[in-house]
Amino acid sequence: MNYKCQIESIGVKIPEKKLTTRELTAKIKIPGIDKFGLLTGIQERGICSAGEDSFSLAYDAAMDCLSHSKYLADELDMIINCSITRYKNGLSHLYEPAFSILLKSAIGAEKAITFDISNACAGMLTGVYIAENFFRRGTIKTCMIVSGEYISNMYNHALKNIRTHLSSEISSLTVGDCGAAVILERVDGNEDGLILSGFTTFSRYNDLCTGRQNKNSQGGFMKTKAIKIHKVSINKSMTSVKKALDENGLSFEEIDYLIPHQTSRSSIIAGAVKLSDHLGKKPGHVVINLKDTGNTASTTHFLALYQYLAKNKFHVGDRIMLLCFASGLIIGVVIFRMNEIVYRYGNKN
Amino acid sequence: MGTKINMVSVSWPFFPFSRGSSISMSSRAAKKCLGNAGIDPSEIGLLINTGIYRYRNTGEPSIASLVQKKIMGYQPAMITRTNMPARDTNTFSFDLNKGACGWIAGIQIIDGFIQTGDIRHGIVVTGDSEPFRGFSENYLFDSAAAAIILSVSETTGGFSDFRTYSYPDLADEFISSTRFGHLDGKWGKRNILKVEQKTTYLEKCIGCAAESLKKYLDETGLTIKEIDLIIPSQSPGGLVSGLRERTGLGNKIVEITNTRNRELHTAGPAFALKQAWDDASFRASKNILFLTAGSGMSVSIVYYKNIS
Repeated sequence: MNYKCQIESIGVKIPEKKLTTRELTAKIKIPGIDKFGLLTGIQERGICSAGEDSFSLAYDAAMDCLSHSKYLADELDMIINCSITRYKNGLSHLYEPAFSILLKSAIGAEKAITFDISNACAGMLTGVYIAENFFRRGTIKTCMIVSGEYISNMYNHALKNIRTHLSSEISSLTVGDCGAAVILERVDGNEDGLILSGFTTFSRYNDLCTGRQNKNSQGGFMKTKAIKIHKVSINKSMTSVKKALDENGLSFEEIDYLIPHQTSRSSIIAGAVKLSDHLGKKPGHVVINLKDTGNTASTTHFLALYQYLAKNKFHVGDRIMLLCFASGLIIGVVIFRMNEIVYRYGNKN
Repeated sequence: MGTKINMVSVSWPFFPFSRGSSISMSSRAAKKCLGNAGIDPSEIGLLINTGIYRYRNTGEPSIASLVQKKIMGYQPAMITRTNMPARDTNTFSFDLNKGACGWIAGIQIIDGFIQTGDIRHGIVVTGDSEPFRGFSENYLFDSAAAAIILSVSETTGGFSDFRTYSYPDLADEFISSTRFGHLDGKWGKRNILKVEQKTTYLEKCIGCAAESLKKYLDETGLTIKEIDLIIPSQSPGGLVSGLRERTGLGNKIVEITNTRNRELHTAGPAFALKQAWDDASFRASKNILFLTAGSGMSVSIVYYKNIS
């Protein structure tokens, strides 16, 4: 009873409708705000149209994931929904029943155990963390982890309240809507599986990024102490990354692709430089996947993986590190080797 | 090796006339639990919040991390500075949402991490309160919270045979969501929490719970005579009496006697456990079932072999 698990399939849904950073920042009267796109590396992002919401994004991503998978929906043993936003039928936030139960019915996963979790932008990786334990015990053979984030509604609140470059709501301009789903499958103990390490909540920093629904208007808002959260996240992640590497006898340069939480280009580069300085080595590539999608909250890691798969950038055997930073403050590391999944996304090499 | 219930605690709003905050109530319950168990907060490996209706509809950070922050500064009286573990923590916390069945799902996750040796202690907190006082329709739950500490046990027993039974055709029997609109007697539009419960909800809940219990006993090979105690959900009101009638188990199914005004939602089974814990019926029982039923419609059941 010492099973491992690996990624079997990934699916995403990005809304068709696009909003450019130029269009968004044109509504703000602050000198120099037109450089926001350059600083963050975000040119545009998908935003929900009428009829789209967190549930529809999660559902579409789940169906896309199944279309790349060898498993049928009724072969899924578990579904974990990890959305922060649970908007269904527009901007109506659903508390009960749980999204995962509705998704189970919608995709026809009759025998799946279901539950929703919420852990800010670390949601999907928290889902992986929980599922891996079920795999290890041999309780399940397949698990879908899914999330739909309809967060572009935060622009309304942010645009009314941003007065300076240091506004706590400036980070709200980086977000974009997206759904993502991943199927994990059980593999034999001798094969390479996902390695999870250092999942910790540093709760004393939980006030650095907060989000909730508005009281007097539709949608939600988010406030971030951007400079401090960046600093603390990098400092805390140094220990976690080093521990993860040491425990598995790896050095940082053996990581072919480092995929951190996608916030903004400048902070990803600054963070990667600090990590490299601390560890004395550099990873092969640092993935920045913000240009067309923005920060898509809990879905960023699997969106980045999907898009790199679709662009045939990965090869079998590449070692990937997913590094999560999230409000809470949550740090976690996932390391794995890319497997034959690349062929199902068009890689012929 | 098993997972045992180390301690359970409950809490109400500090002032009886107030609605309280789910965070402060959950933190208070967790502190009481840690204090009574003599466990330092830094020894908690996993902290899961399974409450649904939360302070000001907070989306992030997780309520669990807000509770974690409040309890991390707490030092139980029986732990002195000399034997206290290092303060910096390896606790990981997150929220879990599965309606009334979230409490058992949280226990199942912690049990898993204890079984694999990842952690020695985990805590499930659960608390509900009206997000904004007066901005809801048909919100029918008491403000209340509870915490349960689960710990590794060197003897056999503890939790086993977790099962969840789903009835997705009945998903629209209970729906709660926030919607933007007018509220009677209030000026302007607001994000209002609306709870829609069909008149048939109670009957369906009792039916599903009784049917699931029968399936569970068939699947696990247990007989109804072997069950000494059932700790069930306490909402919807009438669920416990309906189950007693259907199963013929009478007072073996715990019904809490001390509610304030309305129904207890996610904290209901923990309150029932606390009552059975205090009146010694829990300790006197060997074979115990926990049964939760709620929206979805879902019924979760788990067997607990008592480890004294």
